[in-house]
Amino acid sequence: MARYIVYRVGMAIPLFLGAALLIFIAGHLAPGDPVQTVLGDRYTPAQGIALRHQLGLDRPLAVQFVRYLGDLARFDFGTSYVNPGLRVGDLIGRALPISLRLAALAVVVATLAGTLFGVGAATVRRSALDSLIQIGVVLGLSVPSLLAAAALVYLFALRWPMLPVAGWGLPQNYVLPVTVLSISPIAFIARIARSSVGEALLEDYVRTARSKGLRARQVLFRHVLRNAALPVVTTIGLAFGNAIVGAFVVEVLFNIPGIARIAINAILQRDYTVLQAAVLVYTALFLCVNLVVDVSYAYLNPRVRY
Amino acid sequence: MFLMHISIRASDTKRAPAVPAGRARRAGTLVWLARHDRVSAAAMGFLLALVFVSLVGPLVTRYAYDREDLDALFQRPTTAHWLGTDQFGRDLLTRVLYGARVSLSVGASAVIGESLLGITWGTVAGFYGGVVDHVLMRIVDLLIAFPTILLAILVTGIFGPSLVNIVIALVLTAWPAMARTIRSEVVSIREREYVEGARALGASVPWILLRHVVPNVVHLLIVRATLDASFLVLAEATLSFIGIGVQPPRPSWGQMIYESFQYLGSHPWLVVIPATALSLTVISFNLVGEALAALLDPRYRRGRT
Repeated sequence: MARYIVYRVGMAIPLFLGAALLIFIAGHLAPGDPVQTVLGDRYTPAQGIALRHQLGLDRPLAVQFVRYLGDLARFDFGTSYVNPGLRVGDLIGRALPISLRLAALAVVVATLAGTLFGVGAATVRRSALDSLIQIGVVLGLSVPSLLAAAALVYLFALRWPMLPVAGWGLPQNYVLPVTVLSISPIAFIARIARSSVGEALLEDYVRTARSKGLRARQVLFRHVLRNAALPVVTTIGLAFGNAIVGAFVVEVLFNIPGIARIAINAILQRDYTVLQAAVLVYTALFLCVNLVVDVSYAYLNPRVRY
Repeated sequence: MFLMHISIRASDTKRAPAVPAGRARRAGTLVWLARHDRVSAAAMGFLLALVFVSLVGPLVTRYAYDREDLDALFQRPTTAHWLGTDQFGRDLLTRVLYGARVSLSVGASAVIGESLLGITWGTVAGFYGGVVDHVLMRIVDLLIAFPTILLAILVTGIFGPSLVNIVIALVLTAWPAMARTIRSEVVSIREREYVEGARALGASVPWILLRHVVPNVVHLLIVRATLDASFLVLAEATLSFIGIGVQPPRPSWGQMIYESFQYLGSHPWLVVIPATALSLTVISFNLVGEALAALLDPRYRRGRT
């Protein structure tokens, strides 16, 4: 197990460095000159050279990249191009908890609801309820989030105004965004859970447990669910990735001051350092979540031994 | 659905019929599918109709997509405006049709681009193996480490949302998975007797690749490309929705949804119509892709992610 963790972390580090390199290069290739952005249109060549030196832009690219990594290690993302007084790290630090809370809630809701629907459908296989859940699964997976969001906002915020559309900070502000973010993972997890519980129900140990007189509920909780839980674990990383990209839609729609909102504002203002930081933070989070998911999968599954 | 590659057909209710292996001849596969699977036939019919109206529609309509008529804001459907007008008095039908044109052409360009790049990369990596494979596939791993369209957001965000940049950004997000799929198949084809035989006969590597390897992975390419078309159309809509995709006044479905969202309460159709067009397109590509996968990809299993 320890060996696997070391191996898996060892795989994640070059990926992170590579991602940082790509993001660094993208920033370097960005149109516009940072010196000009800071000094404006009128400056003497001497001023330009001085600032270029001060920003380290006259050093070789490799040196600049190492410095970039060093800054990252201290969570220093530099200063905003557009507002030189603004530290990008502070901006990200303020927005990150909001986005993280949203993503975490979406993953938790998706896992709970998806498992519930999936297990429910598997235990009443081929019934009307099962068919209903199946239809829900297909709809949840196929309807784009933009349409789902429009429908939810129209129904629950405008037609029957029980939830707020705009504003941020109250618990009820979370309901619609989290719902939008969790629809497709719910459907996905429900399908995985249904098929894995369905398979587990046919195993010999379930028949044995039944024949020794355990009640259906005991069989389900003691034998079936434990064995069927594994495939569901692997979907958590997917649900998280979904929440990250979904954040770009949801934070725009509901005007949530999260990372995605900051990234989009940065794009509109050509504030590349902010955009780079946002993409890097999201990618790092995604790598971490996948790392944790893989390690917990190996830990939970005795058949996987590394 | 946020940009996940997910099969939407439920495993137990899979309607694509199991086909005897010899039946599905490559060129005729779509025809076969249209005849034997009603869902796929409907999806293909919708897509064909969409291609047709997006080509012909803009020629027939009397309006320009950006012609504003401030005397005719928010009109209900009339004989002059079949779907009514939007918040600037622009003809909604015209905009939806032009939007189809944009969505389909951006989607198609991106699919072609990522297919060419993916099959070349995957074939070379899989066939040569060793260091070449290692280096090429580590690059693929790196690009896949970015959560779905985040890389596309970075690219269009920094280099600007021109149509070319959007296509490049979409190709960049989609091709690594394609290369990975192709490579895994090529690795096993490399060891087959017919490849060995061709080598023994003195065939050159390019000949072996083009004559023996690529034709045997084309079916995977077709399946993957169809599913990716669904993903890429949706990705373009998402980029346009958040303002870094297709730029106004040129209409795209995602951007129309965004622009009209504030009028959702009073004029829901302005959002519902482009969103429905987008959904039907995405779902259709997905359904056809799933059916093709069930037919052509022997390794296809439910719960594919």
